[in-house]
Amino acid sequence: MQKKSSVEIVTEWDIVAARQLGRNKAKEIGFGTVDQARITTAISELARNIYLYARFGNIHIEWIEEGDKKGIKIIAKDKGPGIEDVRKVLEDGYSTSGGLGAGLPGVKRLMDSMEIQSEINKGTTITITKWLR
Amino acid sequence: MEDLEREYHKILADYVKEQSERTLYIGQNFVRQLIRRNISPEDVVSLHKDAVETIYPAQFDELRLAYDFLIEMMVHYGMAMREHQSLLQKQAEIQMEMNIAANVQKTMLKTPIPSDMTIDIGMLSKPLKNVNGDYVHFIDDKKYISVAVTDVVGKGVPAALCMSMVKFGLESMEEYAHDPEHVLGVLNRIVERNVDDSMFISMFYGCYLREWGLFYYASAGHEPAFLYRAEENKFYDLEAKGMLLGIVPTTKYKRSEVLLEDGDIIVIVTDGVTEFRRDDTVDERQVVASLIHDVKGLPAQSICEYLYSELEEMQEFELKDDFSVVVIKKV
Amino acid sequence: MEITINFKEEKEILHVLVKGEIDAYTAPKLRDKLDAIEIEEKANIAIDLSEVTYIDSTGLGVFVAFYKRATRETAHVRLVGLSERIKRLFEITGLSDLMDIDTDKKVELS
Repeated sequence: MQKKSSVEIVTEWDIVAARQLGRNKAKEIGFGTVDQARITTAISELARNIYLYARFGNIHIEWIEEGDKKGIKIIAKDKGPGIEDVRKVLEDGYSTSGGLGAGLPGVKRLMDSMEIQSEINKGTTITITKWLR
Repeated sequence: MEDLEREYHKILADYVKEQSERTLYIGQNFVRQLIRRNISPEDVVSLHKDAVETIYPAQFDELRLAYDFLIEMMVHYGMAMREHQSLLQKQAEIQMEMNIAANVQKTMLKTPIPSDMTIDIGMLSKPLKNVNGDYVHFIDDKKYISVAVTDVVGKGVPAALCMSMVKFGLESMEEYAHDPEHVLGVLNRIVERNVDDSMFISMFYGCYLREWGLFYYASAGHEPAFLYRAEENKFYDLEAKGMLLGIVPTTKYKRSEVLLEDGDIIVIVTDGVTEFRRDDTVDERQVVASLIHDVKGLPAQSICEYLYSELEEMQEFELKDDFSVVVIKKV
Repeated sequence: MEITINFKEEKEILHVLVKGEIDAYTAPKLRDKLDAIEIEEKANIAIDLSEVTYIDSTGLGVFVAFYKRATRETAHVRLVGLSERIKRLFEITGLSDLMDIDTDKKVELS
């Protein structure tokens, strides 16, 4: 069993591939149906953001362990326009405005944690994790 | 979560057995509990799925996939729901801040209403939203009473912020309070310097000389005041042309005057009072004048309150703008 | 209530045809459209309000801001086709002394 794997996001169908990869990983780690659905939806949102606003990027998924805790970590990376105000995209209501970073507060709530690193015109890296309970 | 599972299972099993209204009512209360505990839609479907599996073990395999599909669908629904909840909470916070701001403003803009043996003054100023874009300011001097009725373009917070500037402007010029042209001229320059091109303020500034019964006034783009002449039983417009405050820095204002006789009434309003219809079928000023006429014998404050309640009723209790009225009655 | 704004250029005059009610809700749209006009020096702009049934103070603000911007560019702005009620609003506010307004719909500019 591979601990890490990733999918390049270029076309809309790559979003499906990223979802599939995420679901398989989540299942292997032992997440239940509802959490599998949450993890997959979160991946789908991040991949879609890349596809719509950054054009290219990749979704990297890995199995993580900390002591006897198991979990999943997803890193979405792109070299797109970047997010100007990271704090702002994490505010609810921002999603209604569309654009890069839309829907991130929702993704954050599906997972246990989220980290965003972004530089204007250089790209964005979003890392999300969820632990198995 | 486990207690919920057990409870849901029991409710569903009861319903399958008896289909009683009582069970459905218990179910409704159960949902209330789910909502209170922020249980998301996908969890509810999962709860249902597990319960169905226990109740119908034989047939369940065929249904499992359909339930899994629904769980997938509901995750996105749940995302939207949680965002909605969080926005509601944010709104409550903003509302609380607004209430505090409204109180700050109320305290700041408080103005005592002067009174006198020869003159009866009433005043009412109601904001449409929390904070007021209208402002009434009185200055009570031994020799005169002056009154400023102000309306800032727009409503709500931006208008209220602007209002503070007007108040401080008026207060810093108290020694000129008997001089409408001067006061308007200075305020005009202050406003022009401090607000952007699309902002402006209208103001009616009047001054009543106690000894002479003379009322003189100037207007900066403000709606004309009403003058009721008791002897003629007739209404006039106290018109004074003048540019809105904040548009042209060099504007000069002109004063007009009128000698008040016993029983005469001056009513100064903001456009929230006279603009209650958007079509041309009704002369709104005529309506307001006739309302004033109906109660001309009442004390000034009662006239204000009567106008407010009648006009509010006419608009089906949904006023569209801040509403301010000052009634000055020579007695 | 909706508002529509159309542009037409004719004989060196830019006609802006506004239709509807201009209030706090529709004023931002009008402001955006007017802001987007690139005003050339000494341009002639006619804003036709003959299809406007109502203007509130926020709407007035939009016209004042546009007028100020145009004046800085030495352009000439004229408001035409005002109904009696709207004309009265411009008179009360003193804006009729500042801006070129006309109840007549014809827009030949001198």
